[in-house]
Amino acid sequence: MDAKTLAYINLNAILGSIPRLCEMVPEAKKLIEGKDVSIGFDVKDGPAATLVFKDGKCSFVEGVNNCDVKLPFSSPEKFNGLIDGTTTPIPSKGFTKIGFLLKNFTKLTDILTNYLQPEPSALKDPKFFETSTILMFHLIVEALAQIGNHDDIGKFSASYITDGAIKVAIGDGPAAAIDAKNHVLKAIHEDPGDNYTSCMEFKDIRVARDLFDGNINAVASIGQGKVRIRGMISQVDNVNRILDRVALYLT
Amino acid sequence: MHKVYEFPKSREAFAHACEVIPSGIYGHQGPAEGCYIPIEAFPLYSQKAQGSYLWDLDGNRFIDYMCAYGPNILGYNDPDVDEAAARQRAISDCTTLPNPIMIDFADLLVDTVASADWAFFAKNGNDATSGAVMCARAHTHRKKIVFFKGYYHGVSPWTQKIDYAGVIPEDVENNIYVDWNNYDQLAQAFEDNKDEIAAVIAQPYMHGNFADNTFPAKDFWAKVRKLCDNAGTVLIVDDVRAGFRMDLAGSDHYFGFEADLICFCKALANGYNVSAICGKKHMMNAMSSLAFTGSYWMSAVPFAAGIACIEKMKRINCPQLLIDKGQMLKDGLLATAKKYDYDLHVTGIPSLFYLRIADDLSLMLHQEWVAECVKRGIFITNHHNHFINASLSDEDIKETIEIADEAFSIIKERHS
Repeated sequence: MDAKTLAYINLNAILGSIPRLCEMVPEAKKLIEGKDVSIGFDVKDGPAATLVFKDGKCSFVEGVNNCDVKLPFSSPEKFNGLIDGTTTPIPSKGFTKIGFLLKNFTKLTDILTNYLQPEPSALKDPKFFETSTILMFHLIVEALAQIGNHDDIGKFSASYITDGAIKVAIGDGPAAAIDAKNHVLKAIHEDPGDNYTSCMEFKDIRVARDLFDGNINAVASIGQGKVRIRGMISQVDNVNRILDRVALYLT
Repeated sequence: MHKVYEFPKSREAFAHACEVIPSGIYGHQGPAEGCYIPIEAFPLYSQKAQGSYLWDLDGNRFIDYMCAYGPNILGYNDPDVDEAAARQRAISDCTTLPNPIMIDFADLLVDTVASADWAFFAKNGNDATSGAVMCARAHTHRKKIVFFKGYYHGVSPWTQKIDYAGVIPEDVENNIYVDWNNYDQLAQAFEDNKDEIAAVIAQPYMHGNFADNTFPAKDFWAKVRKLCDNAGTVLIVDDVRAGFRMDLAGSDHYFGFEADLICFCKALANGYNVSAICGKKHMMNAMSSLAFTGSYWMSAVPFAAGIACIEKMKRINCPQLLIDKGQMLKDGLLATAKKYDYDLHVTGIPSLFYLRIADDLSLMLHQEWVAECVKRGIFITNHHNHFINASLSDEDIKETIEIADEAFSIIKERHS
């Protein structure tokens, strides 16, 4: 596993889930009500992005040019330590707003962890199950793009993906796309409509969850009609090879 | 209007299979790798087969253009081949000492295949290509193998890519990939890897999946042959798929050059399980040196079937017969597509034709058309080349074109 690729996943896919968490989970939304603060994550030789909390909403923007609180990390490994709890970040600016970082933001990440690494009993609640699965769906789509752009083997797979959008969808849930251009992948977290060249669709949210959790097999699911593929299958084929590596990074 | 088939028994069997067999049906004959899109349009299991037809588990009859992905070259259950196999089975098959019919089969291949001075037998195409690569490495004492992108040479780790499940970087670290028909790129690879390239392995023309099939450029093979000779590199032709559907003397012969090693399987024995590596005299010692064998590699029944198959293919001039039948089908399909204003591409040699409706680059329109064909009794697949067999009749071709016409009319109406 490559530390730099993991850093891109941790920032763009894991922390990048916080805006969606704040939209979907009332408890998270409440934590950012009335807040006007932005936190920048600046990883040397790695990614940089800012979480902006304003007007009761959260957004994720690339770069750290306009952040209030800046968290510099001397290496991808140090940043990855923030996510697995072995590194304590020290802000380089924004000490007056550190309270949000220490209290609200920490609570937000705790809630996120509950949804991304749920207790089996929590999944018995249908609403929690749905929210958790949708968050995971977008996280996986984002991680897929990051692996295709940064991991050596992922880049090899991406080198075989022709230009176009690969739609990934859950039958009774959300849709997203991986947009490929010159073998660089970009996750699009909204339904591409008819603008796609291939598609991989999970029958329903239960099937999606079972696939994410490794409880069912994707190849068998295609034969059973639980996963449908169509269009430029070579794109889907290579995306699936990257998907295989998502599990490696997210375990 | 043709009857629209349904496949409840196939579905039921597949559901059970998924409980006891990984992915139900694995590999290219499975619905995922076989690109059965949508899955509802395809049967999954066959009940019986005869000539050009297979019947699925629900009793639906198909004109089968996949021919078991190639082995069916004379027609399913060909009486001459089956009789020879039955005769041998009554004598011996899998025994401690091999039956000398093995020598007869080797003699026949040496007499038939232009570049063959000897023959070595195994079971699958993958055995043949793996043995050929090992032989090339033994002969040259070099590691690296050149592949043309879009290739398929089997499923052993060396044939796969670094991102395939179960493959580790070390399995493929000696693989060099170049573009098909790009001689300059190949020459550069030789320059960059001087005295390191054991072999170039290639299909006789590019008949990979997902793209129109492409013949070699003018003089391409002559230039590759010379490049290999100058560098002391072994030239391996993987004729597993195209073998005997272009030229009984080998597809290298068809294109006017000689391989050092040539691999056969599929059409070699009309469905009986045997594959072969044929080679030039100077490769024989290296092949002899390999520790390379298997429990069933010297079984006599497939040798008897192979002899009967090759003799019959010679009698009926099989490659030309298949090319003629394929051309008739190709002409009919192209005319039908044109009638509906579709840009159907039929590429590759007609006995091994590849289909693509080029109006929609995403291929979804093509997939819709294939599905409508399959539901009405033509077994074709979306993104693999197809196979003609000798038992295919003019009436079968006529029926195929009628069904293709109906399928075109359906998708035309759907998208108008």
